Amino acid sequence: MNRVIEAKKISRRFSTYRQDVLAVPEVSLCIDAGDLFLLTGPSGSGKSTLLNILSTLDTPSTGDVILNGTHLSSCSDDDLAAIRNEQYGFVFQTPHLIPHQSVLENVLLPTLYGNEIKPKDAKTRALELLDYVGLIDAMDHYPATLSGGELQRVVFARALIRQPDVIFADEPTGSLDADNSHRLLELLKDQAGSGKVVVMATHDRVAMSYATRSISLDKFDRDAN
Amino acid sequence: MRIDLRTVLLDMRIASKGLRVRRFRSTLSALGVGIGVLALVAMLSISEGANREIQQKIASLGTDTIRIDSQTSKTGTRAASELNLSQGLSIEDAEFLSNANNARVTIAPYWVRNQVRVSAQSKTASATIIGSSPSWFSNERLTIVRGRSLRESDLRTSAKRCVIGSTIAARLQLTVGDIATISTMNCQIVGVLHPKGALLTEGTGIASLNFDEIVVMPWSSFALSDMAEETQKIDGIVARVQSVRDESDVFAAAESLRGHLNRRHRGVQDYRIVVPLTLLQEARQTQTLFQLIMGSIAGLSLLVGGIGVMNIMLANVSEQTREIGLRMAVGATRLRIVTLYLCHAVLLCLAGSVCGILLGVFVALLVQWLVGWPVAFAIESLILGPLLALSAGIIFGLHPALVASRLNPVAALRDL
Repeated sequence: MNRVIEAKKISRRFSTYRQDVLAVPEVSLCIDAGDLFLLTGPSGSGKSTLLNILSTLDTPSTGDVILNGTHLSSCSDDDLAAIRNEQYGFVFQTPHLIPHQSVLENVLLPTLYGNEIKPKDAKTRALELLDYVGLIDAMDHYPATLSGGELQRVVFARALIRQPDVIFADEPTGSLDADNSHRLLELLKDQAGSGKVVVMATHDRVAMSYATRSISLDKFDRDAN
Repeated sequence: MRIDLRTVLLDMRIASKGLRVRRFRSTLSALGVGIGVLALVAMLSISEGANREIQQKIASLGTDTIRIDSQTSKTGTRAASELNLSQGLSIEDAEFLSNANNARVTIAPYWVRNQVRVSAQSKTASATIIGSSPSWFSNERLTIVRGRSLRESDLRTSAKRCVIGSTIAARLQLTVGDIATISTMNCQIVGVLHPKGALLTEGTGIASLNFDEIVVMPWSSFALSDMAEETQKIDGIVARVQSVRDESDVFAAAESLRGHLNRRHRGVQDYRIVVPLTLLQEARQTQTLFQLIMGSIAGLSLLVGGIGVMNIMLANVSEQTREIGLRMAVGATRLRIVTLYLCHAVLLCLAGSVCGILLGVFVALLVQWLVGWPVAFAIESLILGPLLALSAGIIFGLHPALVASRLNPVAALRDL
């Protein structure tokens, strides 16, 4: 299997004026192409923090993340922004959409940054994705007019617009009903099936059944660290 | 990551849409800058109007001329002149100055009588009568449209000939060769002046004179008429400095004339020397002061407007924290975030400056209409306003833009 992400002894510690908090104990993991990799554990176990570190939104206190052979600790802020733009897609628990932009404009958001994509090509791709997630008729709607499930599918379409290698999903089904959860998980599974990597932080038991590999953070003994 | 025109235009479009969402707040913020630009445009327009007026005035009076008025009409001065045996300006003074300065300064003495009755062919008009020499025409930059000017021979022979202003010629339907009765003297018209209008003397202390309503005759003829009260006393001298290289030549000539007259009049100031160039210098100083004061007001207005923009931008950044986090998550570099928020600030300031220019032009015209001050719109002022507003946008937008770019994407995304 093709190794895409490798994390070596990464940990994350937050310092406050009262105490040091170990949010993520020392973790090492490997994720290959085609994996639907789950980060599981109860609330507060550090799933989201680990996901943020793997997705370059946060930096580890110790250790390093290697993406396709590139050590991310040696990358500049601009390099990391380019990686997020071109190689990563994000699906958040709360569908972060820009309220004053239409569904289509929200899907096109990542194409405004990074290497230029011709507007016509970007729009064609966005329409294909909206069709894929079943929201082609809502392309001119604004986020306020959509349901929670529809919003998450818009976010999913946005995550795929740059045809990323890795999709990070942080509790994507957390605010969805069973039907919408199932639909979104199927879409994520399709992506993993097509050779992409899906990394998902969740404590949704249904989601766990879709995993090819997983890591549970509740097994770590924080006091020992 | 470099920023090119495409990305700037793209961010301008995004910023424009973002500002339209908060329309009322954006309008108020832009208005703050607009008031600054308004003050600037109005100030520069009024200043430019005053500048052009003074330039016209100086051009009318002549930058290379020196005007000397007799001051014997004032009681105190008359007493002093009589005590010192001075009789005010006289024709001998003019002749002395003419000889003393050789050909460097052309001297033209004149008598002037206002509201003299001129009649011809049963028509009557009131005119200002000038008794002078042929050099007076060149010193006053007058040109002849029909006929000829006065000649030295007219002066020597005390010829009853005259040159008339264009308005008098039209009013009395006179032309070259006609005879007009000036007071009680019959005079043959030898020339008609090209229309020139009035001498712009407002605020200079020089007696006003409308060249289109004058009749000019040789001073030797004037002295023989019933219009002359004292044949040796003249009302003034118009001197013109020849071959002027710079302003100092005119001032040097004026000092020379002052010295000669001072000696001849034994220190009695029964004359007054006016150098139009001095008026120009005074006007420049006044204008500089005006520009300084008004510029400070406009600058302060822009400063206050800029601070308003900064305040609004900080509020926008605070409200859009999640959006900024999202943009960073999907690949916006910190530089792109800076560019986006600078575009916000610049758009606000440019919109404000457009309103400011329009309102500034309106206010300037209103001032002209209400107060009567002349205004003129220099292209520089219409360019300077937006340029300063643009600078204010960049300067005052930079801090909020940097605040936005320094946000931690994870923390920003959590700002729900």
